[in-house]
Amino acid sequence: MVQHEDTSARWFIYTSITFFLVTISIGFIMAIKFVYPEFLGGIASLSFGRIRPMHTNGVLFGWLLAANMGLAYYVVPRLCGTKLFSEKLGMATLAIWVIVILGAVVTFGMGITQAREYLELSMVLDILVTIAWVMFAVNIFATIAKRKHEQMYVSLWYIMGTLLWTALLWIVGNLPVYSGVNDANVNWWFGHNAVGLIFTPMGVALAYYFIPKSTKNPLYSHKLSLIGFWTIAFLYIWTGAHHIIFGPIPTWLQTVAILFSISLLIPVWTVIANFFGTLKGKWVQGNYVVKFLLSGTVFYLLTCLQGPMHSLRSVNQIISKTDWIVGHAHMAVFGGFSFFAIAGIYYALPNIVKRPIFSDRLAEWHFWLSFVGFLGFSISLWVGGFLQGLQWMDHTIAFLDTVRAMKPYYVVRLFSGILMLTGQFIFAYNIYKTVRAEAPEVKAAVA
Amino acid sequence: MKIVETKVVVLVIFVVLLALLGTYFTMIVPLMDESLYTPTKDARPYTKLELKGKQVYQREGCWYCHTQQVRNLLVETKRYGMGEEETFKRFGIRALVQAPPSQPGEYVYDKPHLLGTRRTGPDLARVGGKYDNSWHINHLRDPRSTSPGSIMPAYTWLFDKNGRPTEEAIALVAYLQKLGTNIKWREEGVALIKKMQGVPSPEETTTQTQEVGE
Repeated sequence: MVQHEDTSARWFIYTSITFFLVTISIGFIMAIKFVYPEFLGGIASLSFGRIRPMHTNGVLFGWLLAANMGLAYYVVPRLCGTKLFSEKLGMATLAIWVIVILGAVVTFGMGITQAREYLELSMVLDILVTIAWVMFAVNIFATIAKRKHEQMYVSLWYIMGTLLWTALLWIVGNLPVYSGVNDANVNWWFGHNAVGLIFTPMGVALAYYFIPKSTKNPLYSHKLSLIGFWTIAFLYIWTGAHHIIFGPIPTWLQTVAILFSISLLIPVWTVIANFFGTLKGKWVQGNYVVKFLLSGTVFYLLTCLQGPMHSLRSVNQIISKTDWIVGHAHMAVFGGFSFFAIAGIYYALPNIVKRPIFSDRLAEWHFWLSFVGFLGFSISLWVGGFLQGLQWMDHTIAFLDTVRAMKPYYVVRLFSGILMLTGQFIFAYNIYKTVRAEAPEVKAAVA
Repeated sequence: MKIVETKVVVLVIFVVLLALLGTYFTMIVPLMDESLYTPTKDARPYTKLELKGKQVYQREGCWYCHTQQVRNLLVETKRYGMGEEETFKRFGIRALVQAPPSQPGEYVYDKPHLLGTRRTGPDLARVGGKYDNSWHINHLRDPRSTSPGSIMPAYTWLFDKNGRPTEEAIALVAYLQKLGTNIKWREEGVALIKKMQGVPSPEETTTQTQEVGE
């Protein structure tokens, strides 16, 4: 048996959870501002336009990607039957990552931004991200290179794919050469693929590992995993322009994006069928790890059913630019991939620190608060956003009236946010107590 | 198929090739499309003041809540056009002039682009000339004074202790007044209506940026 050190995995996980608390708290402040626009008024660095990139970049890169990287440091060596190539390199990567996220919070607060959605980070931080990503990629590829089994499991394909896609997207997307509508097109080529080719494959890779592990079921179908991987590798990159449908870009480009968006149902269905096939028989008796994986799978499915429908012109004209999309984005990133990452942490951490999770009850609370809170969050935005979209379809309704009409939905979203936020603080507390457990508690838990 | 599961290099090559294929058609081909770079007839680059205003717009994240694209939908050309209640009341006319849908040639001087994705507030692609400068100043200082029910923050840091707009606020308003004017639809619309109704013009509808200030 290989003895895994898991230093990088562990510290990436701790860091990601810390950033999770900070950045969702910022999200919560934003939710308050939707109901009470004067809240924290007059403080420039806490105004909506400055904290929004803190929330989105912070949650995406500070929490989710960092958690995914930590779990990759855990999963890859185990799938390769060997130690991680270099724990030192992993810790150096983490150091740069922390600098980037802290730098992001400070610069965004000062209003330093490239003003391109999800590409807001200033040039210096962009370069640091690139360096950190290369270090991460070297570490993973070097570990895979010395693997004990020739055949690579599906999680490894997805992780390697993510390493390549992220590098391509990040470097090309950040080149300071675009202008006008082409800049918008490149922005959405990056923005949509950031979800589709960074967070999706990372989340799917983790689910492919943790679903069989936590349910002790074998993977349902090898063939489906092959189809899912190669279709997503082909199809996803074509879809960015569906963010600018009816906008000032060529019609053929919009139509291509729509066609490929619809085609995405193929990889989604194959992956989902594989997950459900693997989860078979474990729906009811599963603990919180399985609950997070199962509901993460359902939310991933729903997101990916919404996505292709959104790209249809008839649907797009109503819901595009409304709060519906905000609900959709949160279902992908929170309901889907964050749930996968949380499940991975609950499964992996006891193996890393060699003691069980501090409290199963708190973990169950974490799940139900996240689940119910998220449903309230997204359903309120879907209903409100859809109705607002319909109101926009009648030009005699003043825009301000459609803003006023959103208020009840923003209130529900705010209260749902309290549940989500509470859940994640319980999560962090539980993980903290697990890591910091005193010797007697360990004995009690084992007994 | 076995080889893509056992040889890292083979997998890497296929993944990269597939990614470049889609990138070529959806990103490189549009980059080579000249029609996306050709300015509209009326397009002119930003002045220094307007550019400064654009930087304030970017810094404050205005673009997170305001899109800058009139989509190619009939209802949007009406919503963001000139309605009776806005422009024509002062002429004593009931009329509606549709705003032209946004065209690529209007954005050639935008770097970065600010098309936006979310309309927490209304689209601003055609806002230039819709309100006068003092309206914008009042709106930035206290959004709910001009727009009851608005959830926009008050940009108090764009004003000095005496409540007078700073240079930044003036630049921002100059930028807002420039938006959508790369097509001279507002002037043409007003002229057309005046001609049709034979009504004399009581005042200019488009205000100059120099007039900003209380």
